[in-house]
Amino acid sequence: MKTWSLLAVAASAGLVASVALAEPRRDAILADLREQAKKEDPRFAGFSAERGATLYRATHQGKDGPISCSTCHGSTPLGNGQTRLGKAIDPMAVSKNPARYTDSANVEKWFKRNCTEVLGRGCTATEKGDFITFMSGQ
Amino acid sequence: MPQDAPPIQLASGEPSPAGAARTVKVWDVPTRLFHWSLVALVATGALTGLFTPEWWMGVHVWAGYGMVGLITFRIVWGVFGPEYSRVVSFVYPPRSTLEHMRGLLMLRPPHYVGHNPTGALMVFALAGVLIALVTTGLLALGGEEKQGPLALVVGYSLGSGAKRVHHALTQLLLLMSMLHVAGVVTESVLTGDNLVRAIVTGWKTLPPEAPHPTPRPARPWAAAALTAALAGCAALGIGWVARQPPPHGLRAVPRNATYDKECGTCHDAHAPSLLPAASWAGIMLGLQDHFGEDASLPPETTQALAVWLVGSAAETFDTEAANRFRTVAPASPHRITATPYWVRKHAEIAPAVFKRERIKSRVNCSGCHRDASSGRFDDQAITIPEG
Repeated sequence: MKTWSLLAVAASAGLVASVALAEPRRDAILADLREQAKKEDPRFAGFSAERGATLYRATHQGKDGPISCSTCHGSTPLGNGQTRLGKAIDPMAVSKNPARYTDSANVEKWFKRNCTEVLGRGCTATEKGDFITFMSGQ
Repeated sequence: MPQDAPPIQLASGEPSPAGAARTVKVWDVPTRLFHWSLVALVATGALTGLFTPEWWMGVHVWAGYGMVGLITFRIVWGVFGPEYSRVVSFVYPPRSTLEHMRGLLMLRPPHYVGHNPTGALMVFALAGVLIALVTTGLLALGGEEKQGPLALVVGYSLGSGAKRVHHALTQLLLLMSMLHVAGVVTESVLTGDNLVRAIVTGWKTLPPEAPHPTPRPARPWAAAALTAALAGCAALGIGWVARQPPPHGLRAVPRNATYDKECGTCHDAHAPSLLPAASWAGIMLGLQDHFGEDASLPPETTQALAVWLVGSAAETFDTEAANRFRTVAPASPHRITATPYWVRKHAEIAPAVFKRERIKSRVNCSGCHRDASSGRFDDQAITIPEG
């Protein structure tokens, strides 16, 4: 009887751990960004999904005409996007794609490339955090 | 009844009444089938080689294989076939040939039952050109396209040279075919003997004075045995070739998961054999401005991919694409689509085609080339999507 309950406890612990596995990595990424944001801006008071949504849809003047995140990622982050050369991009929304924003090197790589491409500059930590917060709620 | 000469063998089996025209069976069924199959295959080969788009190459190649089979059969039947199909029956001494040609000039050529000497010359010439044509075709197929029985043993440069000869021989064969038809028409008019009907029905009408030796019958069993022996030799030869270590770069493109992820996410993960080492090195040094976009990677990833790309570059493959794309455009050495060969091969494709939904861009080779990721780019593997 004792063995059975021990096994049950171990199994449920494993289940909880695997379900929540993606979360701590995303939380860690957000925590890092929060630290950076505070350094960059002393008035920083937390990330905003609303600002993230605005950032996602805002149109900028790119070198080949107007461009926004949604140009390639799609009008809604729940759907697939398409690169300029036609390759499919998985949805940005965490609900559709739980693996999003869990690999910090990958996150940094794409923010670096795409912020330069769309905004013509690097993104601030606040912008990155807002963006991930927006996508986490989608 | 004294017999000074053997009786003339007629279709009816009856000796001919003196002075009457006779009909003789000259071309048997296999020889007639051979002739018209060859006509069909030469026409198919010429059409698919000269006019149709690249993806008809498969039909062209099978027409060639068909010709190999037909020529082999005809050589066997030239030894064991019936009288007029036998090669020895139309090998004439030069004196007879000259006499026949003189007769042609005087519009009174001497009559022959089978091939006449001038026609026989054309038969040998056509056979020689056809053998050379299928040989150079197989060399080009193996060397350039890395297909067919010679793919493993023939290098690109030999295949490429063979293709040029193949093209020249095509022109020659078409010219000779026209001469052949002209000769048939001339002979038919001058002798009143309808040669076209003869190669359709097999029968010829002979004037009474025409000499007509006793026909030798076919030996189908001997022919079958020789055919089997030749087929066995061919199988052994192809088997031997297939066991040779490939010396000419018929190796598979190694897959690289990092490359597929880092490069293949945005565009086709192009086979590294599509650009020379210097171009790959240049591309990897300039990822922050990758054809106008920021494609920068962490230094260690960049380094690892550069090493892999340079090590699998065009210089290390012998495919047609690898050989061709070694020559880049001096003004933009990093662009596959700027290479002289790429530009020439896609010149006839309208710009709107590249904008189609399933192609999107010139950069997406796999939009039309089903085997793009392997770097082979077989002619047969091209499909231009409609939408």
